[in-house]
Amino acid sequence: MAGHEEEVAMEVEAVQSVYGGDCVVLDRYPPRLHVRIVPRTADVSSQQFVEAVIGISAGPQYPDVPPCVELIESKGLDDRRQKCLLDCILDKARQLSSCSMLVALCEEAVELLSKMNHPEGDCPMCLFPLVPEDTERRDLAFMKLMSCFHCFHSDCIIRWWTWLQNEKQTKVGEVENEKGLESQGNCPVCRKGFQAKDLEHVLTLISSYSSKSSSEGDVAEENGELLQSDSENNRRQRFETIMKVQEENNGLIEPKKDLVVLPGMYITPTITSSTSGTTNDNMEQQQPRDEAVSLETDSCNALNQQKDKAVAPVRNSIGSSKPRGTIEHRNSSTRKNSARNARKPGKHWVRKDYTSRV
Amino acid sequence: MTSSSATSRKALSKIASNRLQKELVEWQVNPPVGFKHKVTDNLQRWVIEVNGAPGTLYANETYQLQVDFPEHYPMEAPQVIFLPPAPLHPHIYSNGHICLDILYDSWSPAMTVSSVCISILSMLSSSTVKQRPEDNDRYVKNCRNGRSPKETRWWFHDDKV
Repeated sequence: MAGHEEEVAMEVEAVQSVYGGDCVVLDRYPPRLHVRIVPRTADVSSQQFVEAVIGISAGPQYPDVPPCVELIESKGLDDRRQKCLLDCILDKARQLSSCSMLVALCEEAVELLSKMNHPEGDCPMCLFPLVPEDTERRDLAFMKLMSCFHCFHSDCIIRWWTWLQNEKQTKVGEVENEKGLESQGNCPVCRKGFQAKDLEHVLTLISSYSSKSSSEGDVAEENGELLQSDSENNRRQRFETIMKVQEENNGLIEPKKDLVVLPGMYITPTITSSTSGTTNDNMEQQQPRDEAVSLETDSCNALNQQKDKAVAPVRNSIGSSKPRGTIEHRNSSTRKNSARNARKPGKHWVRKDYTSRV
Repeated sequence: MTSSSATSRKALSKIASNRLQKELVEWQVNPPVGFKHKVTDNLQRWVIEVNGAPGTLYANETYQLQVDFPEHYPMEAPQVIFLPPAPLHPHIYSNGHICLDILYDSWSPAMTVSSVCISILSMLSSSTVKQRPEDNDRYVKNCRNGRSPKETRWWFHDDKV
């Protein structure tokens, strides 16, 4: 009996060593585990479209009686695929009956998810299939939101993004500037807040998408204009500069973290060397071109003002490796430091207090 | 005349019309239970018959919803009202305006006519009393010149019905 328990314990350890932080052991014996499963292609997180947490709970008769397997949570899988995943794992468990199977079951799940690692179904925005059946239009790219894995056609989600930004700008004053920059919108499907990283991913995809799809159907045409705009070109230019810095640093800087994303970023003009005068000129040229930006002139001015404000933090961050939030944090902490230094008595008092407590 | 009612009269954009055609096809294949789309050649205005769900206060009653789509649907929410006579409900005004967050602030472009219909039926079904909203007379008087409910600043305070 004790030997059996030890064997099972070793199996649990094996799962832990394979899955590391993705494996949570709830009970050692009889074993109960939660394992986060990602497809094998998930090294590039933007290429990961599915994810699942499976719960495995074995009874004292394990491995003669196969463990119960359940789906604790999943992303990117509809009901049909969830059921398929679970059924296949349970099948495997029956096949392996009376063998040690904990690792094998997890591996099976990884295998299955790797096969399922593509978006499925219709785009929630336009209701047309995410992955068109005729291969002709393959480059109508889809994308997923990084936080919730809900997938959309790139141009659909971007159209909505642009729409949201315009709405925000016409409602100037309702949201504080700083606040507005943090969480930009909500997933149309689950309302989970967009993170900056979600948009980075969209924008990176757009740039690769636009290079492919200059002569596609009418939807692509509309976006084509947007994607060929000066600001978009500038954005890509800046991204390449940052990439170069990264290469020079032996890849120590991650490109994604470098790409600073702000609202309406792909219509933000270059930050590098242009004076503020030309900046505004650029913007006025771009706005009529951007089909979705149909603002009246007064709100347009407000938009420009806002943009100028929004642009400021980017200037700080060019060539830096920190995401925007961190930069802000650093700035504020240096401000605090200098304030403290300036007021020596305060600092002194703090120290005194500290020593007295010791 | 405010801008928003002006936009609602603008023709559908190409994207909006593509999406609506898709929704119409899906509706014909798989209509939500209790609803019937009255066929017209007007894609921009749907009139939908609602049957009160069995076992609820509105069982065996039929009402009509009018759904008007804005130029930039589904970025913008459709305008949904009950045609007279509107059902007696604590969130439905006598002019047919419906106080339901997803029709206004909480609209998401992933919603469809079908999902909106289901929400409205669910709102009807969970009602425990047949009465007008408390501020009905005041509100309806304010809307007399044909104002769209989308221009109302709604307060959503009751999540029970």
